[in-house]
Amino acid sequence: MDSLGNTLANLLTIAWLLPLFGFVVQILFALKWWGRKSKTGAYLAIFCIGAGFVCSSTAFYKWDTQAGHLVFKEAKPAATAEVAAPESEPTAEASDEHHHKKSSGKQTVFSGTFYQLAQFGDLKISLDYYIDSLTLAMFVMVTLIATCIHIFATGYMSEELVEDYVDHQVHTHDGGHFHRPGRFYRFFSYLSLFCFAMLGLVIAGNIFQVFIFWELVGICSYLLIGFYIERHSASTAANKAFIVNRVGDFGFIIGLMILWTSFGTFNFADQHAADHSVKPGLFSMVTRDDHGEFAKTSGGKDVVLTTQQDGHGAWQAPPESSPRKTIAYTLLIVAGLGVFGGCVGKSAQFPLQTWLPDAMEGPTPVSALVHSATMVAAGVYLAGRFYPMFTPEVLLTIAYVGCITAFVAATIAIVATDIKKVLAYSTISQLGYMMLGLGVGGWAAGLFHLITHAFFKSLMFLCSGSVIAGCHHEQEMPKMGGLLRKMPITALTMLVGVIAIAGLAIPGVYLKFWWYIPYLSINSDHGYVLSFSGFHSKDAILATALGYTKLNPLHFLLFLIPLLTAGITSFYMFRLWFYTFLGKPRDQHLHDHVHESPWVMTAPLLVLAFFAAFCALGGEHGNLFQTLSHSEPSHVEHGFDGSQSHTVSLPDSHSLHVKPAEGGASTHDVAGRSALLAAFIGMVISYLIYAKRVVNPDDIKRQAASVHAFLANKWGFDDLYDVMFVKPAHVVAKFAAAIDKFVFDEILHTFVRMGIAVSKWDRKFDEGVIDGIVNLMGNSTHSLALSLRNVQTGKIRQYVTFIAVSVVTLFVLLFALYPKG
Amino acid sequence: MHDIGSLVVHMLDETTKTSVRLFAPELVLSGTIVVMLLCRILPVVWRVPTQWIALAGAFSAFALTLCQFDSLVGGAARAESFFTGLLMFDQFSTFFRMFLSLFLILTITLTVLTGIPDREDGPDFYTLLIGATIGLMIMASANHLLMLFIGVEMTSVPSYAMVGFLKGRKKSSEAALKYVVYGAGAAGVMLYGISLLAGLTGTGSLPEMAERLSMIVAQGKGISDPTNRTIVLASLMVLVGLAFKLSVFPFHFWCPDAFEGAAAEVAGFLSVASKAGAFALLVRFGLAFSGHSKEVSSIAFALGIGLGVLGAATATFGNLSAYGQSNMKRLLAYSTIAHAGYMLMSVSALMVLRFSKYAGAEADAASLSCIEGLMYYLFVYLFMNLGAFAIVALIRNQIFSEELDDYNGLGTQCPVLCFGMTICVFSLIGLPPMGGFFAKFAIFYSVFKATSVHWVMWFVLGAGAINTVFSLFYYIRILKAMYIKPRPEGARKVNYDLMPVGLFVLMICLPVLGLGLFPARFTETFHHVASVLLTGR
Repeated sequence: MDSLGNTLANLLTIAWLLPLFGFVVQILFALKWWGRKSKTGAYLAIFCIGAGFVCSSTAFYKWDTQAGHLVFKEAKPAATAEVAAPESEPTAEASDEHHHKKSSGKQTVFSGTFYQLAQFGDLKISLDYYIDSLTLAMFVMVTLIATCIHIFATGYMSEELVEDYVDHQVHTHDGGHFHRPGRFYRFFSYLSLFCFAMLGLVIAGNIFQVFIFWELVGICSYLLIGFYIERHSASTAANKAFIVNRVGDFGFIIGLMILWTSFGTFNFADQHAADHSVKPGLFSMVTRDDHGEFAKTSGGKDVVLTTQQDGHGAWQAPPESSPRKTIAYTLLIVAGLGVFGGCVGKSAQFPLQTWLPDAMEGPTPVSALVHSATMVAAGVYLAGRFYPMFTPEVLLTIAYVGCITAFVAATIAIVATDIKKVLAYSTISQLGYMMLGLGVGGWAAGLFHLITHAFFKSLMFLCSGSVIAGCHHEQEMPKMGGLLRKMPITALTMLVGVIAIAGLAIPGVYLKFWWYIPYLSINSDHGYVLSFSGFHSKDAILATALGYTKLNPLHFLLFLIPLLTAGITSFYMFRLWFYTFLGKPRDQHLHDHVHESPWVMTAPLLVLAFFAAFCALGGEHGNLFQTLSHSEPSHVEHGFDGSQSHTVSLPDSHSLHVKPAEGGASTHDVAGRSALLAAFIGMVISYLIYAKRVVNPDDIKRQAASVHAFLANKWGFDDLYDVMFVKPAHVVAKFAAAIDKFVFDEILHTFVRMGIAVSKWDRKFDEGVIDGIVNLMGNSTHSLALSLRNVQTGKIRQYVTFIAVSVVTLFVLLFALYPKG
Repeated sequence: MHDIGSLVVHMLDETTKTSVRLFAPELVLSGTIVVMLLCRILPVVWRVPTQWIALAGAFSAFALTLCQFDSLVGGAARAESFFTGLLMFDQFSTFFRMFLSLFLILTITLTVLTGIPDREDGPDFYTLLIGATIGLMIMASANHLLMLFIGVEMTSVPSYAMVGFLKGRKKSSEAALKYVVYGAGAAGVMLYGISLLAGLTGTGSLPEMAERLSMIVAQGKGISDPTNRTIVLASLMVLVGLAFKLSVFPFHFWCPDAFEGAAAEVAGFLSVASKAGAFALLVRFGLAFSGHSKEVSSIAFALGIGLGVLGAATATFGNLSAYGQSNMKRLLAYSTIAHAGYMLMSVSALMVLRFSKYAGAEADAASLSCIEGLMYYLFVYLFMNLGAFAIVALIRNQIFSEELDDYNGLGTQCPVLCFGMTICVFSLIGLPPMGGFFAKFAIFYSVFKATSVHWVMWFVLGAGAINTVFSLFYYIRILKAMYIKPRPEGARKVNYDLMPVGLFVLMICLPVLGLGLFPARFTETFHHVASVLLTGR
């Protein structure tokens, strides 16, 4: 299996480093070699990320056939018998599957070290890799979407291919527009750097390395949001994004410090030393027992780290007699919350969600890649990656944060009129869903939604980009309408995305046609609901939430609010589509000039539409979900009974599918049907209002003016933060500046004045006395020297006389020196 | 008669078996003179250029001295006196003979390049040059008051002729005449001193002198005793003769006039070679007072202090007088006087340390470093001073002037020559990393050691330090003229090819740098020579 590990590591490393190569070449040489008007740099970037996609896919395929294969395929014979009963309960396979997972002995996680950066005592800072099915799925997803978006951007950004670019949104003092050189090459070099950073984050094998690339994607995000740096709104938005993220990163750093102090390592996986000794990684140190409980000290306040291996290689707590590493349970909670704080900032969760809508100031491809599909999902990814370290209390916090975020963002999206803003709020809302899913114990469900969302949201962003390009940079929906005929491909692919995110489906329709497509035919025994990807993933999250609510009735809102939000989501997404593509054109002048985008932009839309529709085929029995759940932390599967330790309980993922003995539907089915119902209701209302115009939306707006104002004001978060943080910061800053100016500067100035006075006197002294002495000495020496010439008379008579005189003089002198008797 | 007969037999025996072998370098040089003169007479070899014969002779002498030095250092030969004790063969004398023959090679090469003796005068000039060198070598190995006088005179007489060699020039002839008269006066004084010493001690041999002196010296009476007074006066008079050769103040008057009148090549020869020989002789004469008698030591100690004061006065006088000079040769003449002053300081330190009341292991080590410093100084001085004079001669050949003002703006016209001049000037000032810096450093270090013995040495040290600053100004004037001032319109151009002139200049100047960069390689040898001279080991 080592060879497989090496192969995977090599392939992913190539995929990871190619964009870095692209970045270096572009930033250093693009201008010199190819000039501003050339697309060569963009083609290089596309090549790098495209080759990365090929490498990632190959790695995924290799992993699937060699490591993941057995799990599915061996479970299959039992399943095929039940083809006729697709909705039946799969307990048998599940237990089989479980059995295989544990006993197959096949290695499915590969870790190692690229390069050690530094060592502080026991702690090593190194560049590691940690490859499991989540890593691979993320790699394929990121490289695929990034490739599509790179291609799209060559069309979208082509206006920058000039020596003199006129930015119509920036006004100079004389009333004209701002002129600057085009920055096409720079855009693509930033994109390449971002891809490198994002892939580095995903492949990272220790939490510190994650942090490094975490900050690097933050920098890329800053650069790309502020791409039109001359626009005041863009530069402000870039700053806002960066600063708000720092708040979350503060928590991240606290988490890192606790981990370093208590665990003494940053590594996820176990470290195999050259002498065959094994150092446990973070995940090994917090293994749970069969009941999902941590090993604790007798008092129950401290968690004992499982740092010793038993005969079978399983990690367990050392006996009480031997020295043990412990960490206070509360400290473990703080560490988890700290790391999650980083995720809150990066994934724009409540209460740090305010930066993401502003980030839409960046070019639309950036919004699609960085601010919907990949970077903002990094928070969810990290929460998933770091899942074993989270205690049930932390998970509850995650669930509530996700729930609130999902709801708040969805309500704001109802009233937003900027097409990109609607998508931005929808992104925040969906990220909230993912967090919720993780928080209620649906590890695979949350990450499943991460992947599906990435596809349909990047698709919709690119569609909006196509619309914006077609409408000559008009982003306000009220000015659009009736674009379906003008740009049919964009409209229809957008519709695919809308259906996917709304979670619409036609239950009971199965397409056996898919059985014949090799990869997708696995687990075809369950048949397929005719639906797009979003339905399945949202279904999985809601089902887990319902199971969670059943175990912890106190937290019933964790199911009801997401359900309501599902309806709202459907409503505002269809509102967007109806607003934009149906109805009569509201701005005839604009409408006349609208055109469908060129192929270079529509082709990526079609590719992404395909994946948005079908990537989750088969739902929770489909290949994608199964692949992901393969990396699920082992303690998640059985749920957790929190009644003993007075914490929340977590549902058992298999019980969700169990039909109760007394009849009726399983938890999963109940949740799925309710969600579908909510989505349909949302769609219908939207249709009635915005397509049929049964009620004039403006009337509603007038009727509920206060509510509208509240929502349009984004629940007042920006104002609140302005009052709470920005204004006080300004006051403090002014105060500090005043102290600086009137106190410290004064002191300094006084010193300087004194210095000047002293040096004036010093100069006088210097010129008058010192120089005088020196000059006097110099002059007297010189005149003495000149007078010495007179001795040399040139008269031989004198010379000879001098001999006699000298001898006598010297003799007399010697008398003086010589000691008298 | 029998006694005399056996004495003659013994002498012949010694002469043929030892002395001739040890005296071989000088004999080779004498042979060279004979060959050159014969060539002049015989019509067959009339056409043979004499400079090549001279050069061959110089090379042979150098090779012989090198072999002798090598065998001495390697332990194959041992130090001994020869010619019945008239001359001394040891590391010290051999080093100086080697030094002088090397210098002879360089000077002949320079004259070949500048062509100063024309075809007609070649044999005469080289005869004089080589003859003076033989005299200097005898000075370096003199072990007897007689040889002391013969060596000085053998050097002086050809030097007078060489100074006046530029026939038909009033200045040259005048300078030569002044030199002759002044030299005769100084020689007279020295000869008087020698006869007094020999009369008092009954011997001329330097090693025996200390012992004889201790027998006749009046214990505890100091200078009030007539014998002691006579010894002091006699030593002083001998030193006057040497001081004339060294151009020490106040016996330097001949030097600027003679240098100005002579060709630069001759001036260069006189400034370096006669100083090397005279210093070797001075050290030898000073060490002749070594003995167990405290009274003799105190006389030598007083002489040493006196030399230190003279050295300080010489350096100061030389440097200050150089200020007002506008002629390069005159300027360098005063610079030569100043450097003699520095070197005299180290001899003074040697005598002060050696003959102090507190003589011990530490003083011995310090006096070793005095000789070491002197030898190092002379070795660097050979290159830097010859370099300066050579460049003056080479430039004179092109612009027909030796005035400083005519050097304006030469830096761009002959970069190699000016670069060489820069190195030499920096070294003469004593700036690191040139050899001159370490040489000055070594001498000041030994003077500093001597300050613990007598307070006057503090004054000497201070004078040396201040003089280094004084010297800066007039040396810098040369560089200022060459590099900063513009070349006047219509001035004569200086054009030299890199081969062979540039190569020769670099060959002389780069060792100055090399000696500064790797001083340790040479000081080891010097240390060995000095320790053999002082301790016999």
